[in-house]
Amino acid sequence: MPVPFLGLLLVTPALLVVTLLFIVPLASSITGAFDVDGNFGIGNFQKAFELYSSDIVFTIVIVLLSSVLIGLCSIAIGGYLTLGNNPRAVSILKWLYRWPLFIPFIVVGQILRTFLAKNGLMNSMLMESGILTAAQTISFLDWRGIVIAFVWKQTPFVTLLIAGAMASLDRAMIESARNLGASRLRILVEIILPQVLPTLLVGLILSFVTMMSVLSVPLMINAQSPTMITASMAFRINAYGDYGVANALGVISLMTTSVVAWIHLRQTMREHR
Amino acid sequence: MGGYLEVAGARVSYGELEVLKGVDLSVAKGEFVALLGSSGCGKTTLLRTIAGFHTPSHGAIRIDGRDVTREPPDRRGMALVFQSYALWPHMTVDQNIGYGLKIRRVGAGAAAARIAEVRALLGLDALGRRKPGELSGGQRQRVALGRALAINPDILLLDEPLSNLDARIRLTVRHEISALQRRLGITAVHVTHDREEAMVMADRIVILNGGEIAQVGTPQQVYNQPASDFVAAFMGAENVIDLDVLAGGETLIVAEGPHNRRAALSRQGRDLASGSAMARFRSEAISLVDARGSDGEPGPGVLQLEGVVGQVSYPGGLWRHVIHLGERTVMVDAEHCFEAGTAVHLRIRDDRLYLFPRS
Repeated sequence: MPVPFLGLLLVTPALLVVTLLFIVPLASSITGAFDVDGNFGIGNFQKAFELYSSDIVFTIVIVLLSSVLIGLCSIAIGGYLTLGNNPRAVSILKWLYRWPLFIPFIVVGQILRTFLAKNGLMNSMLMESGILTAAQTISFLDWRGIVIAFVWKQTPFVTLLIAGAMASLDRAMIESARNLGASRLRILVEIILPQVLPTLLVGLILSFVTMMSVLSVPLMINAQSPTMITASMAFRINAYGDYGVANALGVISLMTTSVVAWIHLRQTMREHR
Repeated sequence: MGGYLEVAGARVSYGELEVLKGVDLSVAKGEFVALLGSSGCGKTTLLRTIAGFHTPSHGAIRIDGRDVTREPPDRRGMALVFQSYALWPHMTVDQNIGYGLKIRRVGAGAAAARIAEVRALLGLDALGRRKPGELSGGQRQRVALGRALAINPDILLLDEPLSNLDARIRLTVRHEISALQRRLGITAVHVTHDREEAMVMADRIVILNGGEIAQVGTPQQVYNQPASDFVAAFMGAENVIDLDVLAGGETLIVAEGPHNRRAALSRQGRDLASGSAMARFRSEAISLVDARGSDGEPGPGVLQLEGVVGQVSYPGGLWRHVIHLGERTVMVDAEHCFEAGTAVHLRIRDDRLYLFPRS
């Protein structure tokens, strides 16, 4: 058998899987978004914006805010893992920070629901310790709960990436800065961070896309309006069987992630040049 | 010698492993000292301990009488040039050089002037806006040196700064660094495993072996009067033979052996008792004569060995002979080539023969 043909044969299964399970459904969802009673039109989008524009804004704001917080937390943890002076504290932190990676989103939602509710564990503990009275307690089961869940779940992932990048830097770069008198915070911000920025960006972009697609957390924590696009899509389909508007919301979600994917691609291209 | 930088009984361990086993060292102001040894001898650990990156479990580091043993690296008035240069790739040459000034909150004008001065000093004038990735190895090395010098340190510490350079550039940079050090009158401690580099650059050489100092002396002293078998071997006297020595007064009588004649050598301050001894000599410290043409009498103060040429090669300049003395082989460099199989006499003057008791 000629070699080029053999090569094609080898990639065929992968190509079929991608085509059948990814490209075809994606294309049908996109075309479905423009399908208004069998005709081409933008009615689904008009309806989606009319009914769900606050959800769209809510989603983007929450995911962006979570990304920023995830970035800050992972820089702090990665920085301490790289620059920490107390070897015991560093190894405890190294062992602890990855745990949320192995917990599914739905469980995160479940845990935080029992923890953050008005009569949840957090408020009972605060009341027990006399910090709050029952009248002062508030529920965090709204946008704050979603942000907490996202940050809690995604920080380890981004930390894992940037702590690896930080660890692979030449230690002498850190020592030479110390030798000149730079404080640890300065070393983190001026020496380490600029060098792991591309990795941080990749981690945040992947997290952004992941958070955009989580359905369980908004359903568990924020069963009210406004909510995230995923919850609205599920509602549209389950309650009304309205695939048109659900598809339109899906396309809007896809456009948002495409923007960050484009940033990612541009970054990768720049690195490979 | 009045010590400006003093290391007193420094012991440093990595976990269970003691890397420095009590090192005493005194460096005068303006002196260039080389720490020389093979890998794992503790030379880099000693330098890093001086710099403040390791804290000794025992002993002290003092600068000008001030105890700095527990001071952080930046409070010691020292700057370290790293083996890997450790330049920050995201900063330009100017930013790298000026970082220490920025941390010291030197005003923008003064910092720019100092950066320009350092750049001019190191011949980096046209490169201020480049990033380290766009520089050659030699240029990076100079930037690393410039970054250390910009803060006007009292002591410059150099951790094998030349080992990443091409052999040819290394020779020039050696001289550049030592000339610069003399011009600035800065105290310098230089770590290297390259014997010649230490000889050429340093005022004094500290030879380390297994975490201890084997010998301290001027290049001439460590080269010509090695204090131990280890130092003699490390300084290039790699040929070794066994001799029986009868010590008496100012003379050492070498008994006739299977491959050597009886010889009377002058003691020259050697601390040696009668008995079995080890003799070391360099391959170029020997005169080689054909046994057939030899009159058999080497003259006073010369040890004569008798052997057979096993192999000849020409590394350039001199011919290198591998000579068999029974089971042992030695290397001898000579101006003339002796064919393999030739019976030869090796004559070594007693001042070029390093004798140590057999351990």
